[in-house]
Amino acid sequence: MTQQVPGPEMTTGQKFYVREVLQGLWITLKHTVRNVLNADENFTIIDYPDVKKVMPERYKGAHRLTTRPDGKVKCVACMMCAQICPAKCITIEAGEDPDDPVEKYPVQFQIDMLRCIYCGFCVEACPKDAIRMDTGIYEINGFTRQDLIHDKAYMKDLKAGKKPLAEDWYREHPEDAPPGYDVKAPKLREGY
Amino acid sequence: MPTVKVNGIEVEVAPGTNMIEAARQAGVDIPHYCYHPHLPVAGNCRMCLVDVEAGGRGPDIACNMQARDGLAIRTDTDNVKRMRRSVMEFLLVNHPLDCPICDQAGECRLQDYYMEHGQHHSRLADEKITRTKRQDIGDLIILDADRCIACSRCVRFSDEVTKTGELRLFNRTDHTEIGVFPGTRLSHHYQGCLADICPVGALTNKDFRFQKRSWYLRAEPSVCDRCATGCNIDVDHDHGEVFRYRPRRNDAVNKSWMCDFGRLSYKRLAAEDRILTARGPEGAEGVDAVLAGLAAAVDAAARDHGDGSVGLVLGTRATNEANWAMLRALRAAVPGARVFLVEGNDPDAFDYTDDLLVHADKNPNTAGVRLIAEADGAVGDAEALRAALADGGLRLLLVLADDVLARLGEVRRPEALAFFGTWANATSEAARWVLPLAAAQEVEGSFTNFQGRVQRLQPAIPAAGDSRPGQVLAAGLARALGEDALPAGAAGVFHDLAANVPAFFGLSLAGLGAEGALVHREPPTEQVAPPDTRPAP
Repeated sequence: MTQQVPGPEMTTGQKFYVREVLQGLWITLKHTVRNVLNADENFTIIDYPDVKKVMPERYKGAHRLTTRPDGKVKCVACMMCAQICPAKCITIEAGEDPDDPVEKYPVQFQIDMLRCIYCGFCVEACPKDAIRMDTGIYEINGFTRQDLIHDKAYMKDLKAGKKPLAEDWYREHPEDAPPGYDVKAPKLREGY
Repeated sequence: MPTVKVNGIEVEVAPGTNMIEAARQAGVDIPHYCYHPHLPVAGNCRMCLVDVEAGGRGPDIACNMQARDGLAIRTDTDNVKRMRRSVMEFLLVNHPLDCPICDQAGECRLQDYYMEHGQHHSRLADEKITRTKRQDIGDLIILDADRCIACSRCVRFSDEVTKTGELRLFNRTDHTEIGVFPGTRLSHHYQGCLADICPVGALTNKDFRFQKRSWYLRAEPSVCDRCATGCNIDVDHDHGEVFRYRPRRNDAVNKSWMCDFGRLSYKRLAAEDRILTARGPEGAEGVDAVLAGLAAAVDAAARDHGDGSVGLVLGTRATNEANWAMLRALRAAVPGARVFLVEGNDPDAFDYTDDLLVHADKNPNTAGVRLIAEADGAVGDAEALRAALADGGLRLLLVLADDVLARLGEVRRPEALAFFGTWANATSEAARWVLPLAAAQEVEGSFTNFQGRVQRLQPAIPAAGDSRPGQVLAAGLARALGEDALPAGAAGVFHDLAANVPAFFGLSLAGLGAEGALVHREPPTEQVAPPDTRPAP
């Protein structure tokens, strides 16, 4: 049963809320003036997508598969990540490598990024430090659903900026470019 | 019958029972590696150490302690816990951290007992002793000597069960490892059992290697259909796909073993020669349409040429229920139909027989069909069928499951042939109507093995394609023939079977249990009421 909790007693003057409303407006006005006068200090304006924010080191971005010194992925297809994944977005097909002393490797390793909820459990569950989310990539996008199923070849040592750049796309599909965009001389972008 | 005490619980056990089994009967689990109920006692893993309260001196190993009056053991003392932790630490000293790549992970005794009894941190300061990994020692077995804890189960298995003795323990102390003699390989046909009995990941199944992590698999109890022994199996499956068969313990049939032919026969469930759709004279059609066409042909043959022009060959590879339902359906619609039983092995049967498990008869249900034929009283044999085909009186022949044309050899083909089967063969090639029969691991039903033991089948995976259980196809045929009163469910058909075949009197499908039930050797003269298996109110 819902229980009524009595609020504080208010006087008739307080019940009009004039003072409170003005108080709120005053705070907004105060900040507006301060920000207009010191815009450079108080705002970090990033000209996205021409410039991109560098994410903190522990930001959970797109997954990458780490590699051993010999260039093979560290993953041994133990399925711990697939097991712990609450979104069930990891699909691994295991295989045997006859020449490798590690014996087992993932023939295919796919993450359906449309399903991923970025909880990072896969990173924690991995006994081999084979999967990390330290790429800092937050633009996980694609032109088809298939683009968003990241596979082993794509995730192997994924570095920031491996996704196709917008100018590459606009060069091939000028009709998609925003108005006034010069395909021949795109504006240089920083932050990559 | 000696009475012993385990943790204060009194149990009366059979003479000769060891204390691990006695404790199991008292509901107490004693951890063990080297002990196996169907192998001689070795007593070398020391994991089953228990305190002896009365009737002996302790601590001692439970596997080698025979139950005797006045014996009392305890497994819950601090001393026992300390001993178990120490044994675990000792066994794990040189064990590699292979769990992520080891197929045993998830069903590994080292993992289980470490979590239950170990939970220690390694104190090993030196390098681990390593032994040879990934040795190909047999057609079905990969040996990883590094993971071995030298329990010697596999050595005893090859010495005592298969009596081939290929495996030995080599070297001493920490360097002990199992292996085969140089230049030799495992030669017997029970290699898969080595992977089953290995409590760790030292011997793993090559066929199952890296296919699936064990915890994704669900096991369904069933019976192997590759020979008349009828080994009890667990069908390990995930999402409708079967990954392996494992023997299920049944001391009266297969103990804990099964042959490699049966073990690998799971592949036949998804084989390319599976009959997945019904086929009539005009090509592929729905099951019901083909059954209707077949029923029309049966009706026409019986009307134009008499009941004797229609024949049925019972299937030694089909379940009791499929055979009985088919027989009942045809007898109900065409009372004078001729019924035959052709024994023999099909061309797709494997060519191996021994006196351990593999029976010469490669059909899972020959005994059951014989009993049904006996009860019917008017079932002809292969010679009768050959004669009936030769004089041309038999115009329409229905064949259940068996490759009858291959079994008969050179015969005059009947005018029209209908085949109810799971896999394509010579008979299905020649048949005008082909109906897809679900495989044994996909149906509810029972097989009767060569001992006369009726063993229950339970569906592990959905029937492939359009295939249906035999009793369902039989009921469909009966309906198309105008007979609506026949049961279609496996339990109902079995009930009907148990009411009409004297050898099955008193049996019920649900009452067969995990170990099966023997048919009556000397059939009772009157009906025995089936046991009431309904739960008490």
